[in-house]
Amino acid sequence: MSITLPTYSRLEIPLLGRRERLWAIIATGLRQGVRRPAAIAITMLGAAFTTITSIILLFLSFLLPAGQGTGLSFFAVPASNPFVLFFVSAMAAVIGSGLIADDIQSMAFTLYLSRPITQLDYLLAKAAILAPLVALVTILPLLLTALVAAFLGLLSWTIALEAMGISLVIGGLLTLFYTAVTLFLSSLTRRKGIAAAGVFAVNFGLTIPAAILAESIQNPSILYLSPWNDYLAIANAAFGASGAGIDWPVALAILLGVTVLAALVTYVRMKAVEVITG
Amino acid sequence: MNGVVEAAGVSKWYGEVLGLNAFTASFGKGITGLVGPNGAGKSTLFKLLIGQLRSDQGNITLLGENPWNNVPLKRRLGYCPEQNQLYGWLTGQQFVEVLLRLDGMPAAKAREEATAALKVVGLTDAAHRPTRGYSRGMRQRAKLAQALAHHPEILILDEPLSGADPAGRVHILRTISDFARDGGHVLMSTHVLYEIERITNNIVLIHNGKAIAAGNIHAIRALIDEHPHAVRIDTAKPRQLAQALARMDHVVSFEFPASDTLVVRTRQPDAFYRELPQIVSDTKLEVHGLESPDDSLDAVFRYLVG
Amino acid sequence: MLVETAGLTKVFGEVRAVDDLTVKIPDGAIGLVGPNGAGKTTFLRLLLSLVRPTAGTAKVLGRDIEDGVLVRERIGYMPEHDCLIPDMTGVGLVSYMGRISGLGRDTAMSRSHDVLQFVGVEEERYRKVAEYSTGMKQKVKLAQAMVHDPELYIFDEPTTGLDPRGRTEMLDLVRTIAKSPGRNVILSSHLLPDVETICKYVVILDGGHQIAAGELSQLLAGATDRLRIDVRGDREGFARMLNEGGFDADAGPTGLHVARKPGLEAAVFETAKALGAEVRYMGKEIRSLEELFLELVARTEKRGA
Repeated sequence: MSITLPTYSRLEIPLLGRRERLWAIIATGLRQGVRRPAAIAITMLGAAFTTITSIILLFLSFLLPAGQGTGLSFFAVPASNPFVLFFVSAMAAVIGSGLIADDIQSMAFTLYLSRPITQLDYLLAKAAILAPLVALVTILPLLLTALVAAFLGLLSWTIALEAMGISLVIGGLLTLFYTAVTLFLSSLTRRKGIAAAGVFAVNFGLTIPAAILAESIQNPSILYLSPWNDYLAIANAAFGASGAGIDWPVALAILLGVTVLAALVTYVRMKAVEVITG
Repeated sequence: MNGVVEAAGVSKWYGEVLGLNAFTASFGKGITGLVGPNGAGKSTLFKLLIGQLRSDQGNITLLGENPWNNVPLKRRLGYCPEQNQLYGWLTGQQFVEVLLRLDGMPAAKAREEATAALKVVGLTDAAHRPTRGYSRGMRQRAKLAQALAHHPEILILDEPLSGADPAGRVHILRTISDFARDGGHVLMSTHVLYEIERITNNIVLIHNGKAIAAGNIHAIRALIDEHPHAVRIDTAKPRQLAQALARMDHVVSFEFPASDTLVVRTRQPDAFYRELPQIVSDTKLEVHGLESPDDSLDAVFRYLVG
Repeated sequence: MLVETAGLTKVFGEVRAVDDLTVKIPDGAIGLVGPNGAGKTTFLRLLLSLVRPTAGTAKVLGRDIEDGVLVRERIGYMPEHDCLIPDMTGVGLVSYMGRISGLGRDTAMSRSHDVLQFVGVEEERYRKVAEYSTGMKQKVKLAQAMVHDPELYIFDEPTTGLDPRGRTEMLDLVRTIAKSPGRNVILSSHLLPDVETICKYVVILDGGHQIAAGELSQLLAGATDRLRIDVRGDREGFARMLNEGGFDADAGPTGLHVARKPGLEAAVFETAKALGAEVRYMGKEIRSLEELFLELVARTEKRGA
């Protein structure tokens, strides 16, 4: 009998299904994504800051003598927390911009696609990496604010629960919007810096000039161009407050439309990427 | 002092990183293959020869002259770098022309020479298409055309065949052979050893920044004492033949891998081949086939570099 | 059958990259060769189900390419170009890919180590891929193709960028895999001598069509009725003496070629002894895959022109 090192070993077990495969991508992506110090900082800061400011804003809105409507409408104020805009941009830029761009740059996309998953699987997994992190800034603060308000008796539990439900929906919409747009921008380029710049451009580049322009020419319709203002319109309407300046159904249509469009275009582009170069 | 390239104790460092280390060799007439592991010093050697770098120690001359800061010498050589990035928006014709004109050739002559060079490498049909649409093999030929277009005396080619399809490879090798046949010198590097064996027997083997061996592949092989030359003989009676061959005192060992095969190892292959016909003829033993599987560049490389 | 296609066609705009291809490729070690633009790349993309055919059907390992995911479960693909994720470690990357193929976390990790050992990546596996040499990167590319133990390996120019030692190592690995029972290999390469040493069956594509396919030994059978001799010494004189002795010899650039007849071999050595010449090679008139390939492609060009 002779002993030799094992040469080529075989594997005889059945493969796990789609859920486990996607989970592998999501789990690894989350781990890689938050490993970098910048990512950890932005996420922690973002979640903490927006939560704290949301709570403060809610308190302030109680103190203001405006005193109108039901308790629920006070919630429109923390929901309009402008720090959300800032931190979502930062997170999308730091964490999200490279999600697809890096794979195109390194051409690792080829490896993913030669695996038993589809392009759709790949996109869904990437979205599932970014969305939870964005939700820490768009949804979590609002949930925590409602909880805190209920505990301190500022709002009844019924209203607090209602507020949490509505926060989930509109926060969810905002999350989907930013996830789709960031992934779309990330798929356009090999350099994630460009994608990151794109995210900032979409946010601040649209929001600030639109606000200024709307003021100066006294035409609020321009605000439709700004995703943040669209969101504000929807948030205000959802919480029963007023004073957004633009109609929430149109705003909703715009946000949803852009989200779906960005997702579709990204999907189509992914299908077209050359996986084997000739 | 008759080599096209003469190097004596040439050293070049990049900080701590080794480029060449006391590299000494004389070579270059006709077609010479430059072979060595990654990081051995081939690109450093090329850059020294085309005058892009200056050695830290030692002397190197090309065609008898120091390449550093030597513009007239640069005109006598044609260089084909490894990178495959051409200016994608230029057509093949424009690419070659532009480089010629950068060299100082007047426009009309540049156009003529470019067309001729592209014809030599077989790119006439594709000459007016942008190079971004070229396959890897076509890009290699375009680079070769640009190296040839000003009729240099020596071609320095870094991996000229990589990525080329078989037809492209044949074409490039033929272009190189024709160039050498017409009196030019060629220095080419490649990792695919049998490509070199196709067109030349002269090599320079580089390892760790030094020249390990330079000259004829077979001569080098014969000198590698530690690995006696193996010859495989197909014969119906291997053991009898072995007995007859054992007379030769340079024969080191016999092996019988099959009932009709004999593998002989000898320290002196030349003597072996000289004496073999006599022995076969005298013993009247039937020999059906004869082959020396390790008299190749591959074997030389393996034995010397490992 | 490893691959079966029927009228497989893929059209990009005006280019018929793969044109009405009907082939039956058996199990084993298969070479896929063809000039640039022959449709090899597109064919591989179709097999991996990464593009949908314009027309026709194909089955890989008995599974229709309609269901790409099912097909890719059993394929390991080693791309030609760089494709590794630079920030991951070797073992991390390979086990990650294993998980995406459906291996559980622990199985993937265990396989990853085994496979990296097989390809020869030792402690480097704990370092980031970005720091690897070309040879190491190629090995990791091979490892990620192996980790889920696929039935079919597709190698696309596996020796690109490797120095001679790396080439030998890589070809040895490919050969070991190809010889492993129940595992199949499709090797796509321009380096025909490599294909010759590893593959038993070869498919030759040109212009989107298959212009030849078959067992290598049969395709290259050619003239077994001639003997090729490498003579050092007076070649012309050698040929002349053999001709005078009743044999049909002619001296060409690749050596002497003589029609086989009884007594030829003995005559060769007698002639060598008489002339004081050396016989350095005597054997089959080797027709290489490269020669066959060039011949076939030239023939197709002539027909098309």
